[in-house]
Amino acid sequence: MSAAIAMPVARPRWRRLLRRYGPAWAGGVIVLAWLLIAVFAPLIVPYPPDAQDIVNRLAPPSAEHWLGTDVLGRDVFSRLLFGSRLSLLAGFSVVLLGAAIGVTVGIVAAWSRGFVDEALMRFTDLVLCFPPIILALAIAAALGIGSTNTILAMLVVWWPKFARLARALALVQRSQEYVEAATVLGMRPVRILGRHILPNTLGPLAVLVTLDLGIAILTFAGLSFLGLGVVPPTPEWGSMVAEGRELVEQWWVAAFPGFAILTVVVGFNFLGDGLRDWLDPKTRSR
Amino acid sequence: MSVTSLSRRHLARLLGASAAALPFLSGGNALAQARGNTLVIGLDISDTITFDPVRQAQYTPPMTLAACYDSLMTLEANDLINPKPSLATAWARTPDGNGWRFTLRRDVRFASDATLTAEDVKFSFDRILGMQEQTQQYIKAVDRVEVVDAHTVDFILNSPNAPVLPIFCNPGCGITEKAVLMRQGATFGPGAKDTDRATEWLNNNSAGTGPYRLGRWERNGQIQLLRNPNYWGTAPAFERVIIRHLSDSAAQLLAVRRGDVHAAFNLIPEQMATLRSDPNVRVERLPSLDFVYMAVTQNPAANPVLAKKEARHAIGHAIDYDGILNNLLGGVALRPAHFLPIGVNGSTEQIARQVGFSQNLDRSRQLLQQAGVPDGFEMEIAYGNAAVAGISYQVLGQKLQADLGRVGIRVRLNPMDQVNIRTVYTQGREAGGVLTFWNPPAVCNDLWASAVVERVARRVHWTVPPEVTALVKQASEEQDLDTAASLWVEWQRRMVDEAHHFILFQPIYQIAVRNSLRDFPLTAAGWQLEMAHIKPA
Amino acid sequence: MPRYIATRLLSAIAMALLASLVVFLISALVPGDPVLAQMGDIAASNPATVLEWRAKWGLDLPLWERYGIFLRGLVHGDLGISIATRRPVLDDIVQYAPATVELATIAFLMAIGIGIPLGIAAAVWRDSWVDSAARAISLLGVSAPTFWLAFIMLAIFYGWLGWAPGPGRIDPIAFPPDGATGLFLLDTAMAGDWEAWWDAAAHLVLPATVLAAATIGLITRTTRAAMLDSLGQDYVRVARAKGLRARVVVLRHALPNALVPVVTLGGLAYANLLAGAVMTETVFSWPGLGRYTFRSAAALDFPAIMGITLVVSATYLMVNLLVDLSYAALDPRVRR
Repeated sequence: MSAAIAMPVARPRWRRLLRRYGPAWAGGVIVLAWLLIAVFAPLIVPYPPDAQDIVNRLAPPSAEHWLGTDVLGRDVFSRLLFGSRLSLLAGFSVVLLGAAIGVTVGIVAAWSRGFVDEALMRFTDLVLCFPPIILALAIAAALGIGSTNTILAMLVVWWPKFARLARALALVQRSQEYVEAATVLGMRPVRILGRHILPNTLGPLAVLVTLDLGIAILTFAGLSFLGLGVVPPTPEWGSMVAEGRELVEQWWVAAFPGFAILTVVVGFNFLGDGLRDWLDPKTRSR
Repeated sequence: MSVTSLSRRHLARLLGASAAALPFLSGGNALAQARGNTLVIGLDISDTITFDPVRQAQYTPPMTLAACYDSLMTLEANDLINPKPSLATAWARTPDGNGWRFTLRRDVRFASDATLTAEDVKFSFDRILGMQEQTQQYIKAVDRVEVVDAHTVDFILNSPNAPVLPIFCNPGCGITEKAVLMRQGATFGPGAKDTDRATEWLNNNSAGTGPYRLGRWERNGQIQLLRNPNYWGTAPAFERVIIRHLSDSAAQLLAVRRGDVHAAFNLIPEQMATLRSDPNVRVERLPSLDFVYMAVTQNPAANPVLAKKEARHAIGHAIDYDGILNNLLGGVALRPAHFLPIGVNGSTEQIARQVGFSQNLDRSRQLLQQAGVPDGFEMEIAYGNAAVAGISYQVLGQKLQADLGRVGIRVRLNPMDQVNIRTVYTQGREAGGVLTFWNPPAVCNDLWASAVVERVARRVHWTVPPEVTALVKQASEEQDLDTAASLWVEWQRRMVDEAHHFILFQPIYQIAVRNSLRDFPLTAAGWQLEMAHIKPA
Repeated sequence: MPRYIATRLLSAIAMALLASLVVFLISALVPGDPVLAQMGDIAASNPATVLEWRAKWGLDLPLWERYGIFLRGLVHGDLGISIATRRPVLDDIVQYAPATVELATIAFLMAIGIGIPLGIAAAVWRDSWVDSAARAISLLGVSAPTFWLAFIMLAIFYGWLGWAPGPGRIDPIAFPPDGATGLFLLDTAMAGDWEAWWDAAAHLVLPATVLAAATIGLITRTTRAAMLDSLGQDYVRVARAKGLRARVVVLRHALPNALVPVVTLGGLAYANLLAGAVMTETVFSWPGLGRYTFRSAAALDFPAIMGITLVVSATYLMVNLLVDLSYAALDPRVRR
């Protein structure tokens, strides 16, 4: 029995490599494919995404409409491809801007210690303890419904986790000998931050960013499912699912955009996991 | 399961076992016995905030209220014009002509076993008048109620010809038992709105003469009704009725197909196709007096083009009404010409076709030319983030956007949360069109028409000419039905010509009913269902 | 240590109050009028009635005074009256919270019950099919949109296969159990009504699974990574070299250490489950706090959203504190 708990079994090298790096590659391919689709959507869609054909509504998938048509007779395939634009845009802007804000706050906090550190960290705690749904709805009510405002609402709650991570990483780095050496040598703090601390915290941040892109896309889709994300007729996956969710017989209206969300999130997760394995010397060595 | 021995076989067994456990999860014995004499209705009851008839202002509670309380009169599903006897067996003008005298039914007993008297009627209306809630607004014409004898009451009106009779049929005017309510902290007369404490009790109990009494209300969970043993009419077939909150139409569909509920009220048109192949479920139609419409402001500050009547007429001729009705709604809806639902006096499908707008793109383009905007113009359409009659405003908005786009009217959609849309529209601050819904509290032409001239007009910045207000008053007070009908047609013609409100449709709701029920009498009178008359197969 | 806990508690209270203040300010700045939106059509058109209603909720007072009223009520355990439901916010929260607490707790137990063993197995048999399967499960759990998954699960296991009961907390015709806690599993068990217990438990399976999906993924992942880390530590290698049985090495030596990050994550995940059940509650008609929060926020029902914010953020901070404390208990090095 206990023989079953062996440490990694020796296997052919290629199989091990495939198991270990295959997903990362697959993730990369999926993400790249969606990025290309987003960029070239206008060139590849068979129909304009908002062209209605009310008589031919809710048509099942066919040669003409690969993924069928929706409640207003629009081509689901075309809307699906176009939908990738907003999802990816929202994901990237929330995560990248969130990371930029968060990392700045985190590093400043770690560097300054004392009161500033305490104040900034309590502030992040404050943001983290908010019920996010209330914040999102209140911001939508105050500023109006639309993708920009939704991204803004997400940003408000998004940066603190980066701040925490960056602060933790920077604290570790700060106590490293080379940083202390640089301080002793009289380098200016900004320079130390930029030249030494930031580069060394980039790896873990890159992993978090990649994994987070998936989560951000999911969250954005969730908010637009609740009716906050986009102004119609802009195609967006979450609102496409919302428009088709109650259609039991006409499953294609909601199933495909739901599946699209799944694939892009899986892609970012694969990529993030792979990136982590690759960056982590401990897991790489074996 | 302790994690002492970790083997792959173990893991597989663990996963297999949890999957195998699933099929035994449903069922039970005591529940199976209760199932026989219980009727279960699937309904979204999230709008319910109270079961105090006096405070009623929401969409779904009338179903429950009508089962618990009887009003003086009632409306039958096939005749929404002439009230029929309920707690009152006869009515006539008072001798002085200033109101109505009602003769009460004898030997009617409340759920508590006490006998109904004229005192209860007076108390009920005094409480309505004193509380100054929504129900009071509809019977403002009532000045006071006077007890003549134990079985006769007079309603003195401040405007003798005011059309109050159909309004008395609505469950908000249900008769409550004075003694019980007084024990629970009720007050009546002026000042009641500050001193009355009975609402809390009425939210979990009832004190009426109806076929059922309220047993329990779990907010966003369920409403339980128990048979009233003292009911004066034919005893209802089911001992218990449970209105089960199901917020999701797809979940309702699954529940009615599986037999967990006898009827599902909030299905969407597309789901009907699924039911057609199910031998155990049928679809019944519930006509309504509701409107789904677009209001367009003529406030020049909001949109100078919309201030021109020709431009608004162009909108009226550009909308693809038939596409909305036949395609989006599967042909199950009506379209009246204006704010008089089809089925009431002066509104039929034929009249609607003659008087109302119809799609005519050439005419629309011509009108745009007359308005001085041959290339069209830009306008906003705002709507709330919600769905009505199984279709979301979002879908409807996109349909209108595409329709108006065909004549060159470029529509910007503006989805809003419910609070902002209500605020903007009630205060007349909309920037263009607003998509919304109107559900009448009681069946009465005057309620719609006066509302239009008194309130709705203000929201679209229309100054109502005195002759239109006079026309409404004349039509409301006209006692001869035929003359009244032609006056109402005249009114609709005027309103259509003003082109501030485009009625998109009057929904017909489709209710899925299991064939284990033989009779499931639906009604458009406001309470949707005659619960006492449901019969099992 | 006691002093540390006291400081943390105090700052948690201050933080929760601050959060409610922020929500209050945002809702005060919104152009829409929450009171007007709740009034009947006729009443809303009558300026006098509108003023009267606005006064009822203090909307005619200056901002600071309104917040002052909220604070004064708070001292007496009064969160004010909800505009949308017209009853005390506290009553609403007390009614809806148990449903969500029960759902989130079961989901959390499922997540750790499945996630931790799966993560351990994936680490121990690294690169085997177990690892791949664990990876696939956790990935799908993390990646599937809840609003989509919820309906698919309901359609398959209730609509199609009929294995699980439908939406709601109990059978449509059953009476909700009378009990002090509002947690149906607890109430029915205490009353000894096992049929009702079974019914409530069966109704929890699907929504809890849907709600747990993402958390299962997170916990599996974290456990796997932490286990790999600790299996590679010297003391574990020494233990193995000493010839201890593999099971002992894994469970006694490697696991405790690996649990530290899992506990941290688990605590936060639990707090998120409590707050994040909106979609699941909608599809499963679950009368919980998630739906209440959504409806109140959509109606800008500021007494309700301030009350919810207070409760939710306080819960979050408390869970955080507990996490930190258990962190100290698990890892002696953190203790000061």
